[in-house]
Amino acid sequence: MARVGVFVCFCGANIADFVDVPAVVEESKKIKDVKFAVHYKYMCSDPGQQIIKDAIVQNRLTSVVVAACSPRMHEKTFRRAVAEAGLNPYLLEIANIREHSSWVHQKDKKSATEKAADLIRMAVAKSIANEQLHAISVPVTKRALVIGGGIAGIQAALDIADAKIPVVLVEKSPSIGGRMAQLDETFPTLDCSQCILTPKMVDVASHPYIELIPYSEVMELDGFVGNYKVKIKKKASYVNFSTCTGCGACQQKCPVKVPNEYNMGIDKRKAIYTPFPQAVPNKPVIDANHCNMLLKGKCGICAKVCEKGAIDYTMKDEIIEREIGAVVVATGYDLWDPKPYEEYGVGRFKDIITSLEFERMVSANGPTGGVPVRPSDGKVPKTVVFIKCIGSRDEAKGIEYCSKICCMYTAKHAILLHHKVHDSHAYIFYMDIRAAGKGYEEFVKRAQVETGATYLRGRVSKIYRKDDKLIVRGEDGQLGQVVEVEADLVVLATAIIPNKDNPDLARLLGVSYDKYGYMSEAHPKLRPVETAKAGIFLAGCTQAPKDIPDTVSQASACAAKVCGLFSGDTMQKDPMISTVNTDNCSGCQNCIKVCPYQAITAEEIPVARGSKEMRIVAKINEGVCQGCGSCAAVCRSMAISLAGFTDSQIINEIVSI
Amino acid sequence: MKKLTYFPGCSAHGTSEEFDHTLRKVMKTLEVELEEIPDWNCCGATSAHAMTDNLAMALPMRNLILAEKMDNKTMGIPCASCYSRMKTAKYELEAHPELAQKLSSIVEEGTFKGTVEVKSMLQFCYEEVGLEKIKSLVKYPLTGLKVACYYGCLLTRPKAVTQFDSPEYPMSMDRLVEALGATAVDFDYKTECCGASFAISTPEVVLNLSGKILEMAKEAGAHAMVVACPLCQSNLDMRQPDIEKLQGVKYNIPVFYFTQLMALAFGYPVSDLLPGKHIVPIEPALARIGETEEPAEKVTKPKKAVEAESEDN
Repeated sequence: MARVGVFVCFCGANIADFVDVPAVVEESKKIKDVKFAVHYKYMCSDPGQQIIKDAIVQNRLTSVVVAACSPRMHEKTFRRAVAEAGLNPYLLEIANIREHSSWVHQKDKKSATEKAADLIRMAVAKSIANEQLHAISVPVTKRALVIGGGIAGIQAALDIADAKIPVVLVEKSPSIGGRMAQLDETFPTLDCSQCILTPKMVDVASHPYIELIPYSEVMELDGFVGNYKVKIKKKASYVNFSTCTGCGACQQKCPVKVPNEYNMGIDKRKAIYTPFPQAVPNKPVIDANHCNMLLKGKCGICAKVCEKGAIDYTMKDEIIEREIGAVVVATGYDLWDPKPYEEYGVGRFKDIITSLEFERMVSANGPTGGVPVRPSDGKVPKTVVFIKCIGSRDEAKGIEYCSKICCMYTAKHAILLHHKVHDSHAYIFYMDIRAAGKGYEEFVKRAQVETGATYLRGRVSKIYRKDDKLIVRGEDGQLGQVVEVEADLVVLATAIIPNKDNPDLARLLGVSYDKYGYMSEAHPKLRPVETAKAGIFLAGCTQAPKDIPDTVSQASACAAKVCGLFSGDTMQKDPMISTVNTDNCSGCQNCIKVCPYQAITAEEIPVARGSKEMRIVAKINEGVCQGCGSCAAVCRSMAISLAGFTDSQIINEIVSI
Repeated sequence: MKKLTYFPGCSAHGTSEEFDHTLRKVMKTLEVELEEIPDWNCCGATSAHAMTDNLAMALPMRNLILAEKMDNKTMGIPCASCYSRMKTAKYELEAHPELAQKLSSIVEEGTFKGTVEVKSMLQFCYEEVGLEKIKSLVKYPLTGLKVACYYGCLLTRPKAVTQFDSPEYPMSMDRLVEALGATAVDFDYKTECCGASFAISTPEVVLNLSGKILEMAKEAGAHAMVVACPLCQSNLDMRQPDIEKLQGVKYNIPVFYFTQLMALAFGYPVSDLLPGKHIVPIEPALARIGETEEPAEKVTKPKKAVEAESEDN
């Protein structure tokens, strides 16, 4: 004899404003088998949970229906409460009357109330057919994969490895370091980026628990949380790293010059190159798209000058497989191309550069020896105009969001300009100054007071040439006047956009991403580093634009999540998986075709006990099955059943309304 | 003989007679027959859309409907303002069919279908005639003449409506005059505002704005300016003496319609350009034709210091 309890939540005003909660409770009491029904302002709170626990004991309930928010939000919370009262946690059902009723029917309280009552009726009917289920234990591979070797990936890898958990760090380019390695000094303290980053890079290379695989990309990810298999393509470097000493002779003699990515194309590198002098690993690779020997079969100079014979033109891409239990994605950012700003003459005027190009110029290891110069004539600029929000907060030409870091690095650039060129003057056109962060507002003040930078609140409408100057015409919004500044150099603070490979990588990993290409976190506030796919975590600008402190915090948070995941030898997994009744299975194998997780295989079993004649049936791997139910839906002989969503449960739901 | 539906607009019969006159000559050479829309009406220009949205849509809609009754698939418009009104109306009426429905009570000529393509004459020459054909018909190349091509604010804007060339730094007219043998100077003010119809209400505005355009054209080394809009032409040409008085400088920059230069290159006599319609005399600029480049201007640019440095490495 079923005894069901119904617990209806107000969710503050979220539900109660649009659903007549007391009426729903009264309606619930009329349902057959409901022995107890009550409402409470916040059912998820401690007193709310206590109401459920007490009611289970006092009313000897056999199943529980909580009518509240989405099960994605609090199913785990309520299952735990139910279990604490001595009931099997899987005898709980959630009726989602918030997302499915109050939020979507805000204009019609009467219908919303009726729908809420119906949802509860269905949940009650389903719960009556619920069975006691028990969590499954699966073994865990205690090795983490970190994708991306910028500051986010470096920090995550080091934190995980320091907990004595092996890490595989995959980096696409020949060296780790990422964008941070391109920076000169960092806000708000102006410490030298190289000085705080390169020791960490060396730590990564020498850490006994980190396997660094540079110049490689993730090709495939199979499996499930705790038991992933990854395929990594190690691109051919054409240099044998074990014999190469990194002497650099090959790079000196190579005749091919290619725009240098590290210096944003301001100078040239060779076709055989290490990206920058402090690279880790400090071994060169051959750029196959530009090498004469690989393209035309003529040259071979690097092989001739290499005393160690480390050059190998026959090297092929290599596929490496690793078993891992969790993934940290840290693919970083790209910069928005300002080409649509035609009124500024982007692409036509050489003396308009991006902030990262300026950053490279003022860097001590940059292409101009740490002094900004005009690309047109090599002169040191005296008047520099910085324009913020190029592409950011621009629905017409760029993207809607704020790139978060430009206000701060532009203030930094004003200070650096002042440090490098004492008699210079910076003009900064801005929309708002967003300097929320520890020491940030003080830093902007420092730029204004110490360097005397002129902050002009307004947009620039046009840039044109006069003699060898660029005339920047914009609005001084505070005076309500048009101003024209004669500039030697114009620096555009271009927006941050996600790494262009993000959507492809997200699909490969099975993680969702937003309209811009940023990968999506499981919850914007409460689960900021997890993705909706268990065991895959996000760090840094993969998820949204961020500065270095935020990126490092998030990377460490990822490491904590990975360590937590790996804290036991086995992992608990929901028992909502499919099972096959082999007696009914006809061996049609349709389920194998539809399973998105490759969790089903064909197995031969004797036709009858002791018989030598065999027949084929479906076999489900418990560890791999994610409980999607596709197999149960296509099974014609009704041999497959999904625990927690059995045919009788679903039919009960349908019949109840 | 290709046929083109032609909407001359009011200025073609008045202030920009030389535009219309040379356009007809040029089209003859290009083997394009102009078929003027019978009983066309005012496009509405600035006045209509400053006062009422319905009138601003209904006036060009009537012209569009009349054009649709003709056999040609394109309507060519010399005036930038007429072009803008017609193109905007077509864009709005296509995006909002209910608007065409509403206006049908005002316009009795029929229903709007959107079957006729609206192009400025510059766009027509550039896209449908093509630079190759224009080049092949040049008898007297305009070598030595340096011009600043000025597009004004309407010809390529707004981008979503015009769908032609760049809204900020268009190049179609530059390429066209180069096909005629002239040199188009690099001119940063090619889409700045000339002051337009403020010429009537607040002439100082025009003197300031057009003055700036002339100053930049001179700085860019232009002997003359080339335009595709009657109002731009009249502001830059007719107001030039006033601008010179205000700024205390002499420009002497004649302002041509691109069709005048085409006519000249195609071999029509100078008298066909109707020189008497110009306030700033055109002859000094025409005298430049055939001049060879002075060697002093071929200064080699200083090598990029950055590049020089990287090559040292």
